Amino acid sequence: MKIKITAAILISMLFTISCTNLNEDLYDKVEDGNFGNTPKEVDALVGGAYSSLRGFADGISNNYPTSEYVFFLNETVSDEATIPTRGTNWYDGGQYQDAQKHTWKTDNRLILSAWRYNYTGIAKINSILYQVDKSSLTDAAKAPIYAELKALRAYYYYNLLDLFGNVPIVVNFEDTSLPSNSTRKQVYDFVEKELLDAIPHLNSNIVYSKFTKNVAYSLLARLYLNSEAFIGTARWQDCINMCQKVTGYTLTPDFFANFATQNEKSPEIIFAIPYDQKAGTVGNYMNSMSCHYLHKLTISAGGNDYPWSANGMCAQPGVYSAFAETDKRRKCMVAGDQINVATGQVIVMDNGEPLTYTEEVTSVADAKENQGVRLGKYEMKAGEQWERDHDFVLIRYAEILMMQAECYVRMGAADLAKPFIQQITARAGEEMPTTIDLNFIDKELLKEFTFEGRRRTDNIRFGTFFQSWWEKGPTEKYRAIFPIPSTVLTTNKNLVQNPGY
Amino acid sequence: MNSKNKKMVLHYMWTAKNVVFMIFMLFLSAGMFAQEKKQVSGTVYDNTGSVLPGATVIEVGTRNATTTDFDGKFSLSVAVGGYIEVSFIGSTTQKVLITAATKPNIDVRLQNDGYMLAEVQVVSVGYGTQKKSDLTGAISSLKSDDLVKGTISSTEQVLQGKVAGLNIIRPSGDPAAGSTIRLRGGTSLTASNSPLIVVDGIAGVDINIVQPSDIKSVDVLKDASATAIYGSRGANGVIIITTKSGTKGVSVTYSGLSSVGYVTDNLDLLSANQWRAYVRSTGNTDAVDYGGNTNWQKALQQTAISQSHTLSINSGKTDSGFRTSLSYLNNEGVIKSTGLERLSGNINAYQYLGDNKEVKFDMGLFANVDKWHPLDYRIFERSYNLNPTIPVYDANGKFSSVSGTLYENPVEILTNRKVDNERHRLLGYFKTEVKFLKDFLAVANISYEHNAVKGSTYKPSYAVLEGITENGYAQKTYTEFANAQGELYVNYNKVIDKHTIGALAGYSYLENIYEGFGAQRSGFVTDAFSYNNLGAGYNYRLGDVYSYKGKSNLVSFYARANYSYDGKYLLTGTVRRDGSSRFGENNKWGTFPSASVAWKVSSEEFMSNTKGWLDNLKFRVGYGVTGNQDGIGEYKSLSILGVGNDSYYDPTTGTWSLAYSPKQNPNPDLKWESTKQLNIGVDFSLFNRITGSFEYYAKNTDDLLYTYEVPQPPYLVGTMLANVGEMSNKGVELTLNADIIKGDKFSWNANLTLGHNVQKIEKLSNPTYKTDVIYSGSLHGLAGMSGQYSQIIAEGYPVGTFWGFESAGLGADGKMLYYNAAGDKVLDTALVDDDKRDLGNIQPDLTMGVGMNFTYGNFDLGVSGYGMFGQKALNATNMMLNDPNRLPTFNVPDDFLGSRITSAPKYSSYWIEDASFFRLQTVSVGYTLPLKYKNSKLRIYLMGENLAVFTSYKGVDPEIGLNAQDGINQTGKLDETGLAAPGIDRYNNYPRPTTISVGLNFTLNN
Repeated sequence: MKIKITAAILISMLFTISCTNLNEDLYDKVEDGNFGNTPKEVDALVGGAYSSLRGFADGISNNYPTSEYVFFLNETVSDEATIPTRGTNWYDGGQYQDAQKHTWKTDNRLILSAWRYNYTGIAKINSILYQVDKSSLTDAAKAPIYAELKALRAYYYYNLLDLFGNVPIVVNFEDTSLPSNSTRKQVYDFVEKELLDAIPHLNSNIVYSKFTKNVAYSLLARLYLNSEAFIGTARWQDCINMCQKVTGYTLTPDFFANFATQNEKSPEIIFAIPYDQKAGTVGNYMNSMSCHYLHKLTISAGGNDYPWSANGMCAQPGVYSAFAETDKRRKCMVAGDQINVATGQVIVMDNGEPLTYTEEVTSVADAKENQGVRLGKYEMKAGEQWERDHDFVLIRYAEILMMQAECYVRMGAADLAKPFIQQITARAGEEMPTTIDLNFIDKELLKEFTFEGRRRTDNIRFGTFFQSWWEKGPTEKYRAIFPIPSTVLTTNKNLVQNPGY
Repeated sequence: MNSKNKKMVLHYMWTAKNVVFMIFMLFLSAGMFAQEKKQVSGTVYDNTGSVLPGATVIEVGTRNATTTDFDGKFSLSVAVGGYIEVSFIGSTTQKVLITAATKPNIDVRLQNDGYMLAEVQVVSVGYGTQKKSDLTGAISSLKSDDLVKGTISSTEQVLQGKVAGLNIIRPSGDPAAGSTIRLRGGTSLTASNSPLIVVDGIAGVDINIVQPSDIKSVDVLKDASATAIYGSRGANGVIIITTKSGTKGVSVTYSGLSSVGYVTDNLDLLSANQWRAYVRSTGNTDAVDYGGNTNWQKALQQTAISQSHTLSINSGKTDSGFRTSLSYLNNEGVIKSTGLERLSGNINAYQYLGDNKEVKFDMGLFANVDKWHPLDYRIFERSYNLNPTIPVYDANGKFSSVSGTLYENPVEILTNRKVDNERHRLLGYFKTEVKFLKDFLAVANISYEHNAVKGSTYKPSYAVLEGITENGYAQKTYTEFANAQGELYVNYNKVIDKHTIGALAGYSYLENIYEGFGAQRSGFVTDAFSYNNLGAGYNYRLGDVYSYKGKSNLVSFYARANYSYDGKYLLTGTVRRDGSSRFGENNKWGTFPSASVAWKVSSEEFMSNTKGWLDNLKFRVGYGVTGNQDGIGEYKSLSILGVGNDSYYDPTTGTWSLAYSPKQNPNPDLKWESTKQLNIGVDFSLFNRITGSFEYYAKNTDDLLYTYEVPQPPYLVGTMLANVGEMSNKGVELTLNADIIKGDKFSWNANLTLGHNVQKIEKLSNPTYKTDVIYSGSLHGLAGMSGQYSQIIAEGYPVGTFWGFESAGLGADGKMLYYNAAGDKVLDTALVDDDKRDLGNIQPDLTMGVGMNFTYGNFDLGVSGYGMFGQKALNATNMMLNDPNRLPTFNVPDDFLGSRITSAPKYSSYWIEDASFFRLQTVSVGYTLPLKYKNSKLRIYLMGENLAVFTSYKGVDPEIGLNAQDGINQTGKLDETGLAAPGIDRYNNYPRPTTISVGLNFTLNN
């Protein structure tokens, strides 16, 4: 009998220790309803809007504005860079060749990554807006946060306007219905209005890497500069007006200070994406995507103190020779014999030939290991990791100067462009030209902003995009915007493909 | 037919006729004589020599019968010249002729009967047992003798080829690598397809907690009517392992095994001299001869010496018993530095209390420690890439290093990166069984499983891999997983006349907790500390320290009812209700019912005339619903904020802070995948020699979980886990076991399992989530193939369907030609997407396992093998190696030089091969020494494993994993976010060794 009682007690103990509670206990995460109650928590939320500027990689695509594939896309469809297939490397389904020859299809992954980079940034901001809205902050405290977030969101929409044109506008996190396209004009108006509405609440001071009034003016100036290309209405004077509101910046005497590892100190940078590998930032490895595998020997004796490079992107033939020998900016490309710092000799490749970067590239479909001059704008030095520390420049003061110069030329007042061009050429160590015309502006834009990921927009505005160059034939007008990626179209039947695709 | 053959056939027919006639005469003679009565008494023993109470003794041809008493004794008056027939369930029936000369006291010894024993065999069905003869579901049962023996590093290997419909696929010969277990084709695209493992009643544990030598029996629950009692975890079948516990008597057993493993198949690549001859013949001036003579594949390999030792003690009395075992194994891999070392121990003990054993306490404790060095699988690709003239070591005795992509010295990678992993497993349970109110048995069972992995890595300062230099990198990780369960159930069993009633009701609570932390640093001034002093690294990043924790729980109620009438009509119904914290808010609870019936036709009156040859014939039909909740994971239904690499720069302080961001698209509708399965089975037994089962099943899985690409906008991230698709698997299975010869001196037993499964994706989209096709089989990570896929998952096709261009062979100039949609041969530049087609799939048409055992006196011989037929594989290794751009820098296969190929690698049917194979798994020869002392036994044996593979596949091995490694990303970590790439041979062939071993088993009885 005793035994039965003992057993009964044991069994009933089992019942008491158990229950039917099925709620999930969180330990290392927090549910969204429980966050955003203190200013510090709100800071941590808003910070996320900036961190998503660095992009991300997932199983679907790499979406880095600094490298694969957003940067790759902007560069390879323009007239300044190429990712040629070298032997078995860099073919990758022909996606770079298609971009280069302007024969891209709707399933090109470079295009998908550009779409996802921007819309992920937008969705994040929408979710942060929703969180801030639910937070316990006062309305007065919320207003500048809303303005900053919406202005940053407008930056992504500006990119979409430029790249895809007729994109859906989504602003509400809670609305998960499938959106349909807006026209390019509607997107244009949206970007303009969001920025203008935000300006009164934005910070008037220079605050590095944050979306301030100056950043909003600069972005509006870009919008007006490309207004004709975007919506068919030229707004040159509006562009100049906006540029003139940008204050507090100067050109750095040393052009390359903008691209140094510690470039956050440059007084020229208006907007940038900060990076620091120690802070866990990823995606900023463009410096490893261009040079030859053995390039490390030019930086570190024995090569052990500098990362390997992938021998990918290089300049298109004609870019390097566009620079005068005296032009200080020409150093943004690495050309010629590459010297082993340990031996002082020219590096020998595995095939026995010297590692000499040539301007000539046989073909985008079949290039030799050493062909093409390499991207060397951002500082490369011993001790660097795969993930680089230099901040990626989005807008700098030189652009404000160039925009004004271009607008004056376009408005037929080339003389008024002189003071702006004067500053640019003086720093580059170049002579002032006798005449400033659109051709000069185009070439100067190439030289000033080589490999800064914005050449495609310039090519389109100048119309060169549609002309033949290198291995590319003439381009039809519809390719001024990219197609909506095929996987996006299949998952959202409300979307209509851009005309021509 | 020629005349000679005709003669032979006639001869056989004549012989057969005579045999039949003689047998007929034998039967006839039995009843021919009738004489006077005689009192006969005797004792009946079983095959081990113990007395057998309850055996039936009958005078043949009469109703005169008795049963043996508690001491196995009987007494019966029998006609002289007649026969008595002694029978006992599970034993062969024995006839004894009674003559005038028969001694008044006779001994009858009964032998075990293959079929009958199988029928009384007790089968675990979850929360209880049933006699095999009473089963209504599809369950395969194996005893310890039936399991695969040999150099075993992972417990699931003991089932390879043994159960029809259960495929155990070993993707690699690495002793530290596990296997993929898949029953009846699997049911899920993303979740685990592994069956639920139940050890001594504890569900959901790691199969490797049990060592093969501790296994008493394994029951594999295959159809939904059998597995529905495990509800949301039962969809992929259930493997119930019962471990040995104290049996009557005292014995000590030792088993030992030593083996030598070696590689028999490598890829035929150019040797240094072949390479030189090629360079000379082409007059290539770019080629660099480094002067060496290296076979890079062999440079990585070694002869693997392995050993294992197991010692166990068993002791059992009438009301208590225990068994304890200790084992050690050290299995070396054929790739240097790999292997698995394991020490494990196990104690089982039980004690009955009460005059009629009303209460039983039962406890078990299992523990083991594994040590291994994980392999960087990139060495295989390097070993195919490197120029054979590069020596392993340079003139200074250092590893030679030639720069280039994917060109690091693989021996250096293998030698200098130190990775030491250690895993600890523990499982303990305590079970109390109480009999009450005569027919009830209450069981309370509490258990705790703990599994911890400690990882330590050090990459020295000079290590460079894929461009990453870290100047010394050290990492320590620790993860642990705990699984606490409480279970309470009551069984009721009652026999009223011909009605047998059984019932079960129970409750269980399960809590899983996982947690872990890790730390890493790089930048070491000296390599002296290895991974032992992380603080010495000067370079550290924000993500260098991390920890995590999560929890889930599962609450269940379950019930089962059995009814049988006269052992002929059997009925089972089960239901389980599972509530899981992982499920979304809108679907917290799921119900999983099942029902099955069986009809034992052979027990019917009208079948009495078939008794002579048809011992058993049973039809079974079952239908049930089961679930799979593995694919969900924790917290997937919630809207969660987390910290990741989302740091942001604070310009006012110049410092970095961490951002909190939403991590996923929440899905409050998330639920289990639900599988409805119909099973129709026949069990039969013929001539008391052949037993078998035939099963037909049709299962339909809906609410398939898949991480769908969702449109951005409006979604936050590009993917979302959702229940959308539908998949079907239909198939047949046959299991046959034949005792071809059953003699005292010579016996011959053979078994065969066959399985055939047809899989189809029925649906992929619903109104919310739409996808026409999911691209899978990623080729990402192969040079020049970023972002390309080789397979599709699409409606109407099975998982793992190769989709691409069909090759039309090589053109005159060696350029690869393809068929376009119109059927014309074109170059790749002329191809469009519509030219792609179905190029076959990875699903085998037939899986097979065969085994044969012979004994002759004290000798025994066992042979077993398994095979898969009809499946296709993409030989991506071959595709990448047959590249005209490789030479002279990269090595190529011998075949390439004669192949004329001038096109760069492009995925097409050209590289897809039939991967059918049959593997001769083990051959063993043993000799049992007859020992004088109390039935003690000593067996020595010689065994060969993986002795031959019959295949037309051109790669290293046709047995290619179902979850082959996906692309490896830049940082060297496995890219697990992409889809699995089943059936793709891509450089990751760790060769399977051929192993020769000698072993010894010694049992000392007291």
